[in-house]
Amino acid sequence: MNRWLVAGVAVVTLALPPLLPERHLATFVLLLLAATVTVGVSLLMGYAGQVSLGQASFYAIGAYAAALPAVHGVPSLLGLALAPVAAAVAAVLLGAPLLRLRGHHLAFATLAVQLILLSLLAQADWAGGAIGLQGIPRLTVLGIELRDLGYAYAAWLVLAIALLIARNVVDSRPGRALRAAATSETAAAASGVAVGRHRLAVFTLSAALAGLAGGVYAFYLGYLSPGSFPVLLSIEFVVMAVVGGLGTLAGPVVGATVIVLLVQLLNTLGTQPGMPDYAPSVLSYAVYALLLITCVLYLPRGLVPALRRLRKADIAR
Amino acid sequence: MSDLLGYLITGLGIGAGFALVASGLVAIHRVTRVVNFAQGGFAVLAALLTSTLLSAGLPHGVAELGGVALGALAGLVVGVVAIGRPGTSPGTALIVTLGLGVLAYAIEVLIWGDQPRSFPGVPGVAEIGGARIPAHYLLIIAVTAVVFALMAWFFARTDLGRALTACASNRYAAQVVGIDVRRMGLLAFTIGGALGGLAGVLTTPVQQVTFDSDVTLIVNGFAAAVLGGLTRPAIALAGGLLLGVTQTVVAGYGGGAYQTEVALVLMLTVMIVQAARTGPVPEMAQ
Amino acid sequence: MTGAVDIGNLTVRYAGATALDDVSLSVAENEMTALIGANGAGKSTLVKALAGLVRPSSGTISVHGRLAHVPEGREMFPDMTVDDNLRLGGWRTRKRNTTPVYDLLPDLAAIRSRKAGSLSGGQQQMVAIGRALMADPDVLVIDELSLGLAPMIVTALVDHLRTLHATRELAVLLIEQNARLALDLCQHAYVLESGRIALHGPAATLARDPRVTAAYLGGHVTVTP
Repeated sequence: MNRWLVAGVAVVTLALPPLLPERHLATFVLLLLAATVTVGVSLLMGYAGQVSLGQASFYAIGAYAAALPAVHGVPSLLGLALAPVAAAVAAVLLGAPLLRLRGHHLAFATLAVQLILLSLLAQADWAGGAIGLQGIPRLTVLGIELRDLGYAYAAWLVLAIALLIARNVVDSRPGRALRAAATSETAAAASGVAVGRHRLAVFTLSAALAGLAGGVYAFYLGYLSPGSFPVLLSIEFVVMAVVGGLGTLAGPVVGATVIVLLVQLLNTLGTQPGMPDYAPSVLSYAVYALLLITCVLYLPRGLVPALRRLRKADIAR
Repeated sequence: MSDLLGYLITGLGIGAGFALVASGLVAIHRVTRVVNFAQGGFAVLAALLTSTLLSAGLPHGVAELGGVALGALAGLVVGVVAIGRPGTSPGTALIVTLGLGVLAYAIEVLIWGDQPRSFPGVPGVAEIGGARIPAHYLLIIAVTAVVFALMAWFFARTDLGRALTACASNRYAAQVVGIDVRRMGLLAFTIGGALGGLAGVLTTPVQQVTFDSDVTLIVNGFAAAVLGGLTRPAIALAGGLLLGVTQTVVAGYGGGAYQTEVALVLMLTVMIVQAARTGPVPEMAQ
Repeated sequence: MTGAVDIGNLTVRYAGATALDDVSLSVAENEMTALIGANGAGKSTLVKALAGLVRPSSGTISVHGRLAHVPEGREMFPDMTVDDNLRLGGWRTRKRNTTPVYDLLPDLAAIRSRKAGSLSGGQQQMVAIGRALMADPDVLVIDELSLGLAPMIVTALVDHLRTLHATRELAVLLIEQNARLALDLCQHAYVLESGRIALHGPAATLARDPRVTAAYLGGHVTVTP
């Protein structure tokens, strides 16, 4: 990828937060967190060739794993460190049986896991039950309690870490092997690739990334409930990954940005005076649906590869 | 004892709804190899339209038929988008139906809002063996029984049904004898839509419907269908009834909070056992 | 020349690879024509193009009358009965009466209510032929009649085909790996090699052609009696 472009995006996104009004700062933070989760989803779909409709479960596990100790007085940074670990452990335990499944079986299995998690959380009084977990302390780093701007940089850092890890996975030998496995499992197995182990590794990694983002999310919002992690959220992550382009590094970032900004724009539009109160939700459902369908049918490799091809065609001309 | 009988019968009623959703999934999957994620949406659309038609003064029967017809139409539309483009793989089609399911949310909320709706069914209470059961459950069971009998006859004894079964049995051979496989796929989607619609229309009087009720329906329907490998309607029926009864009994004896887990855990167990028995399931056929 | 089937300069490409290259072939009415060639020569592609299952890149295909196809591997509907298998053969012609086929192939009548998947290979091949006959064809394309079947069964099938051909006005295109069988049964033959027609002519002449005997008949010159 173009180094200058990456550096430019990094500088702009680092300079941006202080300039944003509070309302847009929240969008910024949530966008970066969504992009972090999507990096994992994109790896899972692009490299392990599998659809997860339950990625929000790991986001939730990370969020609760970070928030619960913090509520009970454990230093918040330690809670944040627990978030990816808890999600990864959950992924290893679940992945061992679940990753024997493929295609629609795995899609429904991951969906089932999320529904079970949500139902259990709603009944877990120690986790706030259906009402939720309130009074989560703010994240404190080196004695400084983070404010809105702090979370913007924390989310930035988390996404940067996710992208660095993803780049290493993509370039690694197991990464290449998995990409082969995503296209033809039999061929990969025949060439002696330990498909199962690599796939579990990617599943775990994607869960850890979701967990880490979930941890930041918990401290940022200060309030969690099962309702914060609907099935639709998992679907949103899939949409972002597909729209951006599976198995590319820039894809998740582009996908998350396009969708979050579009939904934000439509939200602003939908909350204009005179619009009915259901307008924002109708518009966002429609955007998710139409983008997903259009991309899958007409841009199956996503926006990033499509844009890249366009640029190459331009240069060639 | 009469408690248990009551739970059994209401459970069969609830399970019949799951079985109808499941048989729709099976009808579509058999012919097209696509797992239709929008299957629950057909039920929701049909139920919502029926509630509107009833409040507009249409008589029972007509309103319900209108709902089922909308389900069938929605099925056809989903089919056209999901498999209409040549070369769309079943995996891609699954994602497309997922998107269409979300699109249905937008349409449903736009037209009907996001509040739960219901409409009256068969009034009155029947007494069977000392158990008092809302009569509507008996209607659900009776209609489902008739529909499954009709389907068995249709798929085995009519030309069109045989052609659908042929596509399911050997797609290539079906093409060889001149059956238009894609058109049969669209017909399967239409039938699936009608079955989903029927499930929604039948169960809404005993369970409210909201735009996002489809998740519960599709999950239970898939759990029932996956028992028979998504290809056997009779097992889907048995699976749906089993799920309904188990959930009602679990809820009846105080485990109401864990009702959904029954279906979910069953689904996971079945799939994992199936995968362990047959080895990793091959990638979805291209 | 107008025969039952006329293929002119047919080219078929799959994803860049050329499966058939400028192939011309005719099947005369009421005659049996063989197409022989090794695995991967393009025989199956030609059949699929004829049956309309593959779109040609260029060239013409004209079929006079109705064409029915006995596919390679027999391709049963395994969980349906023989009778239902036959009935589906009449899908295009809306013909559902299976009695004429049982009259032509009496062996099938005895197994009419058995599941096609439970039959032996020879029986399945018979069902596949019967299913194609349900379409009331003027041209019958048989793809790999003998593949995977015991020699005795093949002999019986060939006898059936001869009788069938004698009783009914029918042009047959027989695609065969077993060149000896094909040249024996048919009047005309084409040899397909790497997507091109290498040789063609009367079957009896080809059977004596040294190029054919060397490549397809195990090096021995066989003279058909």
